[in-house]
Amino acid sequence: MLGTGRNGPGRLGGRTRAYARFLRDAFVVNLKATLEYRVNFIMQFFGMMLNNAAFAAFWLVLIGRTGAVGGYGFSDVMLIWALVSTSFGLAHVVFGNVRQLGRIIMEGGLDVYLLQPKDAWINVLASRTVVSAWGDLAYGFIVLALMNGTNLERLALFTALAVPGALIFAATFAAAESLTFFMGNSSAVSSALTEFMLSFSLYPEGIYGHGMRWILYSIVPSGFVAFMPLRVFRSLDWGLVPLLYLVAAAYVGLSYWLFRAGLRRYESGNRMDARV
Amino acid sequence: MRSRCYAIAASTSMRERAAYPGNFIGSMFTYALFVFIFSRVWAGAYAGASEIAGYTMRMAVWYFIVAEVPSFGFGRFFWTLSRDMKNGQIAYLLARPYDYVGYNFAEKYGGSLVEAGVILVEGLLVGILLVGPPPLAGGAPSLAGGAGVAAEASRALLVGLSLLLAGALNYFLQASIAMTAFWLEENEAFFWIFQKLTLVVGTLIPIEFLPTAAATLARLTPFPYLSYAPARIMVAYSPGEAWSLVAAQALWLVLAAALARIVFSFGSRRLSVNGG
Repeated sequence: MLGTGRNGPGRLGGRTRAYARFLRDAFVVNLKATLEYRVNFIMQFFGMMLNNAAFAAFWLVLIGRTGAVGGYGFSDVMLIWALVSTSFGLAHVVFGNVRQLGRIIMEGGLDVYLLQPKDAWINVLASRTVVSAWGDLAYGFIVLALMNGTNLERLALFTALAVPGALIFAATFAAAESLTFFMGNSSAVSSALTEFMLSFSLYPEGIYGHGMRWILYSIVPSGFVAFMPLRVFRSLDWGLVPLLYLVAAAYVGLSYWLFRAGLRRYESGNRMDARV
Repeated sequence: MRSRCYAIAASTSMRERAAYPGNFIGSMFTYALFVFIFSRVWAGAYAGASEIAGYTMRMAVWYFIVAEVPSFGFGRFFWTLSRDMKNGQIAYLLARPYDYVGYNFAEKYGGSLVEAGVILVEGLLVGILLVGPPPLAGGAPSLAGGAGVAAEASRALLVGLSLLLAGALNYFLQASIAMTAFWLEENEAFFWIFQKLTLVVGTLIPIEFLPTAAATLARLTPFPYLSYAPARIMVAYSPGEAWSLVAAQALWLVLAAALARIVFSFGSRRLSVNGG
């Protein structure tokens, strides 16, 4: 199992470094594959940024008319868009198969990953990148660069907040996709969760009633990828950053546990696949 | 003879869509989620005001409900048309004894009417649940009495007509963009720009919310007639304004249909078919 070596901290450290190298190599290979189709890459990149910019125009007009909405001014809304966009983008750039996992399980496509020495969960998730996600990843940094008061510390904090956000996104989506082991086809649940998580994350927290807040900090963890990071960023409170990493670790742990539990029910499809 | 052929194509396409009602679930879910979230956004925006740019909160929510119907019902013509051109299916379609532009309009538009109808009915139910019935048609103090009922019937008729025109206009504009594939293989960028302009100019927010200069400029383009027109008729019905919006839609429809024919006429000359 990932990170549970039996021979003490030295072996654990070695495995962690090995997985870090594996993720780096997977990232580089995926990036090279993406850049083979440069026109497609550039179009998807700018297409995603254009999509995000359209909503920025909406908020500019609305808040220009009404003032703050749900306690958020224009810069707050732009910051949650930046945080969510970069986290979502990073999750799909590094773990591009995160929303394909259910289909792979359903089609018996896990065989090829189970036969390889690296952990199947990490291997399958990191074996692909999503081209349009690069646009999302860049959008957050572009918004940040355009905002007043951005300096190196804020850039570092923003990056530090985007990483647990990406892990929470990836872990939540992967958990929903892993339900395929138990349900046969979890695409409806997974699509619904994706829609919920993205939609709830991109609008001011204050517009949701108190009765809904607990959902945003549990099943649909928008609170940990958007609202709490925004508060941390606004107050430059580095002390809360480790807490977000702990929360991310908990979501990753739960998602991994669900995958391993489901894997016991997996039956090979005897499919012949080649990874090139 | 030809019109009969097109009518059969449209009705076959409609029956085909209606045969798989499960395919609507994803769109219906996303639409309901958007309507719910925007009803919360508007509740936040109207927290300190009863009226903004001539719209009450109930009008704004109902505006969104109707303005999103064309996006969900008629928003995806580009992809099927563009796919037909890129995968070579067009070579087969052009050899058939019908007018390519007319036949495709009948087939694609006919099928989309089913989905648009389903979304509209869902929107009416969700709207009533969230904010109550739509505001009464202008000039009618209540539904009681012949004048009120006549105004409501007239509004319903014009909203329906305006939605149909919005769908047809959407088709011809998207077809014109899709047929740029005769020249450019990667033509998605044009569609994305079109899609986002449609979203900002009249779908997410009424034109009246835009700054005066932007609103004036927007009215000179076809974008308000893709979603603003039916939504405006729904929430602020007055016969004079409604008929002028419908007339403008009809005018833009004629221009867009002519544009599609011109693009096809020039583009199809560039097509070379090899093999059989």
